[in-house]
Amino acid sequence: MSALVFTLRNAPAQRVDAGALNPTALAGLSVADIAALTLQIGKRTVRVDEVFTLEGDDTADLVFRGDCGKFERIGAGMKSGRVTVEGNAGAYVGQGMLGGTIAISGNAGAFCATGMKGGRIEVAGDVAEFAGGAIPGEMKGMAGGLLLVGGNAGERLGDRMRRGQILVSGNAGDYCGARMIAGTIAVAGTVGAYPGYLMKRGTLIVNSLPTQMLPGMVDCGPHRLGFLSLLYASWKGLPGAFGALDASACTVRRYMGDMGVVGRGELLVRA
Amino acid sequence: MSLIKLTGGRVIDPANGVNDQVRDIYVRDGRIVAGPNEHEKITAEYNIAGRIVMSGAIDMHSHIGGGKVNIAREMLPEDHRGDPLERTELTRSSCGHAAPGTLAAGYRYAEMGYTAAFEPAILPINARQAHMEMGDTPILDTGGYAMLGSDDFFLRMMAAKEDQKAINDYVAWTLNATQTVGIKIVNPGGISAFKFNQRKLDLDEQNAYYGITPREIVKVLSRAVHDLGVPKPLHVHASNLGVPGNVDTTLGTMDAAEGLPIHLTHIQFHSYGTEGDRKFSSAAARIAEAINQKKNVTADVGQILFGQTVTASGDNMVQYRNADHGSPKKSVIMDIECDAGCGVVPFKYKDQNFVNALQWAIGLEIFLMVDDPWRVFLTTDHPNGAPFTTYPHLIKLLMDRSFRNAMLDTINPDARAMSNLAGLDREYSLYEIAIMTRAAPAKLIGLADRGHLAPGAAADIVVYKEDADRERMFEKPELVFKDGELVVRDGRIVKVVRGNTHAVKPEFDRSIEKKIEPYFQRYHSVRMNNFKISDDELCECGGGSKLIAHACKKRG
Repeated sequence: MSALVFTLRNAPAQRVDAGALNPTALAGLSVADIAALTLQIGKRTVRVDEVFTLEGDDTADLVFRGDCGKFERIGAGMKSGRVTVEGNAGAYVGQGMLGGTIAISGNAGAFCATGMKGGRIEVAGDVAEFAGGAIPGEMKGMAGGLLLVGGNAGERLGDRMRRGQILVSGNAGDYCGARMIAGTIAVAGTVGAYPGYLMKRGTLIVNSLPTQMLPGMVDCGPHRLGFLSLLYASWKGLPGAFGALDASACTVRRYMGDMGVVGRGELLVRA
Repeated sequence: MSLIKLTGGRVIDPANGVNDQVRDIYVRDGRIVAGPNEHEKITAEYNIAGRIVMSGAIDMHSHIGGGKVNIAREMLPEDHRGDPLERTELTRSSCGHAAPGTLAAGYRYAEMGYTAAFEPAILPINARQAHMEMGDTPILDTGGYAMLGSDDFFLRMMAAKEDQKAINDYVAWTLNATQTVGIKIVNPGGISAFKFNQRKLDLDEQNAYYGITPREIVKVLSRAVHDLGVPKPLHVHASNLGVPGNVDTTLGTMDAAEGLPIHLTHIQFHSYGTEGDRKFSSAAARIAEAINQKKNVTADVGQILFGQTVTASGDNMVQYRNADHGSPKKSVIMDIECDAGCGVVPFKYKDQNFVNALQWAIGLEIFLMVDDPWRVFLTTDHPNGAPFTTYPHLIKLLMDRSFRNAMLDTINPDARAMSNLAGLDREYSLYEIAIMTRAAPAKLIGLADRGHLAPGAAADIVVYKEDADRERMFEKPELVFKDGELVVRDGRIVKVVRGNTHAVKPEFDRSIEKKIEPYFQRYHSVRMNNFKISDDELCECGGGSKLIAHACKKRG
C-alpha cells in the first residue's frame, strides 16, 4: 500500500468543496470508485479524475499535490488517517474533524479547524482569519484537538473556541481569542489589538503585551502557575516554538477578562 | 379539454363514506367528474389496480410562512447548511430540515401526498409577508389564520366593553383585510400581558393593563367567528402551554367557548398533570374524555418526535421561559409592532429525556384515546413538535401497535412507566387516517371542494402503493395530482404547479373602518388602506396563485 496521491491537473478558478475526499469517507472505496466521484466547480459537476491524477491506493493516507488554495473543507469530518497537502489549502480545513492528522506545507484559508473535535492539524505556513473560530450561526468554534501553526494567524484566532489547543509560532492578528468559551491559545510572536475580546473563559498565553489591551482585561499581577509546567511538558517535542519550552519557567503576569462578559478568561504574559 | 382516467384503484374517501371500494376516477380540467361525456376521448389513463387512492392530504396547522418562520430560518444557518436540496431540471434549489425554505417545503409536502397546508399564526401586520412566502411555496394550496386576542385595538374594545356586534365587525374586517381563512388566538391576552411584566396568565387572571381575562377573550372571539359564519372554528392555542398541571386550564378553555365550536391546537402541549415524583405527568385521559364528550371541541395533537427542530411561536411568554432550554442555545424573543410577539427557540427532543419522552407518549395517548377521528387532527405543529417530514413515521406509530410498542421500549424508562400507552391497543385504519388527514381538515376549514373525491371536487388525488410498512407507504406516494395535473411520480416531483390561496370574506358593517382608520393613523407604522390586502395584490404577490374565497353564512 502506498499513499493515495491526488495531483492537481489545473488549479480551478472557483472554490471547490473537497470535503468528501477524506480518509473516513473514502475508506473501502477502490481508486476507480474515487476517480468516479464528482466535485462541483461553479456550475459544472466534474469527476475527481478530471481534476486530479490519482496514484497509489491507501485511502488512510491521502496526499494533495499542487496549489489547492481553492479547495475547501479538506479533511472535514475525518475520524482517523492522514491527509497531507503539499502546497496551500483553502478555507475550512478539518471542519468538524474528529481524529487523525492533517499536515499542510503551505498556508491554509479562513476558518481552519472550525468545529474540530479531535485530532491534529499542522499548518507549516500561515492560517487566515478565524482559525479555530465559529462559522456564522454556529455557537462554537474549535471544540477539541490541536492546531499547530508554523507561521502567522489572521484575525479572530479561536473565535468562540470551546476546547482544544492552538499553538502559533508566528504572530496572531487582532481580536485573538475573541468570544472564547474555553480552551488554550498560545502565540510565540506578537498578538494584535484587543486579545480576549468578550472572552468568557479559556487561556491565552503570549510572550509580550499587545499594543492595545481591552479595558475589560484586569491586571492580576505576577504569578507562578504550577499548571504551566505540566502544560509545557505536554507540548514537549512538538514542531515549532512550543516544543522545547523550559517547563520550570512558569512565572507569568496574569490578566483576567473580559470583564464585559463573564470575565473568567485569562491572558498570561510570559516573563 | 383533457380527460384523465384513474382505473381500478381502491378508493378511500371518507367524506363520501367510501371505504376501500374499487372505482374509476375521471378528471376533466382539474375537477373530478362522474364519467366521460358521449364521444369524449380519454386523453390519459393510469392503470392503478390494487393501489390505494385518497384525496390530497391537508395539513391544517403548519408554520410555513410569516415573520417567525423567517426568523427561525435566519437564526439557523446550520439547519440550512446541513440539509441542502439541489436543483434539478424541474425544481429549484432550497434547503432546511426544521425551518425549510419555501421551495423545499412545497416540494417535500407534495412528495408526501400533501396538497394543502395552512399557516396557523399570521399576525395581521405580517399577513402580506406571510402570503408572499406561501405564494412562493410551490404546488400547495395555502391559507392562514389571522392572530387576534393580544392586539391593542381588540383589547381596547374589550376594556371599553364594546358590544359583540362591534367585535364581530372588527373580526370580519380583519379576515377580509388579511385574506385569511380563520381566526387564531395565541395565549389569549398573554402576549400582551407579557409586556406588562406578567410571566404567567391563567384563564381567569386579568391582564394587568386592560383588566381582561383569557376566558373573556375566548368567549367573545368564538362567538364572533360563529356569528360571522366562518366555517373554521376559533383556533385556540390555550394559556399555560407546556406548564405541568395545565390540563385544568385547557379544560377550562374548552368551556370558555360556552358550547360554540372551538378548536384547541397542539393540545399535546396542553395535556400535562402534576403527578409523580417529578411533578409532571400525562393528563391525556382527561383531555381525551373531554373531547369525546364535548362535541363542539376539535383538536390537533402537535405530536413531538425525537430529534432536532425549532420551536417558533407567537407565545413570547412561554418562549421566554423556554429560552434556557434551547439547543443549540440561542433564541429570539421579540415584540412585533406592539400587536403581538414572537419567540423562536431551537430545540432538540431527546428520547432519553424524561420530559420529552413523556411528551411523546402523551401525544400518542391523545391520538389513541379520542374516539372520533373527525375531531382530532394529525399534526406535529410543524416545526414545533417535529418537522412535517416526520408525518409518515407518525402515521406508522398510529397504525402499527407492535412498532409503537417497540419504540416505547426504547424511551426513557421513567416516562414509559408513567404512560398508559402500552395498554392502548388501538390501531388506526387507513380509513381513519384518510379522515384525519383529508376529510376532516377540509370539513373543519370549510373547503367544500377539497378533501374528497366525489364529482365536483378539485382533482387533488394521491395514489399509494399498499405497503405493510405504513411509513414507507406514506413517504412516497406513487402518483400525486394537484388540480388534475400529475405533479409527483414515485415520490419525485415531475411537474411544478402553483397552488391556490384560500380565504373567507365574511360580511360586516363598513362603518367599523371609521374607528380603525384613525387608530392606524395614530399608532401604526402603516395606514389602514396600505394594511389591507386586495384580491389583486394577493394573487400578484402570491406569484399568480388563484384566490378561492369560501362562503360564510351569517349566524348572528
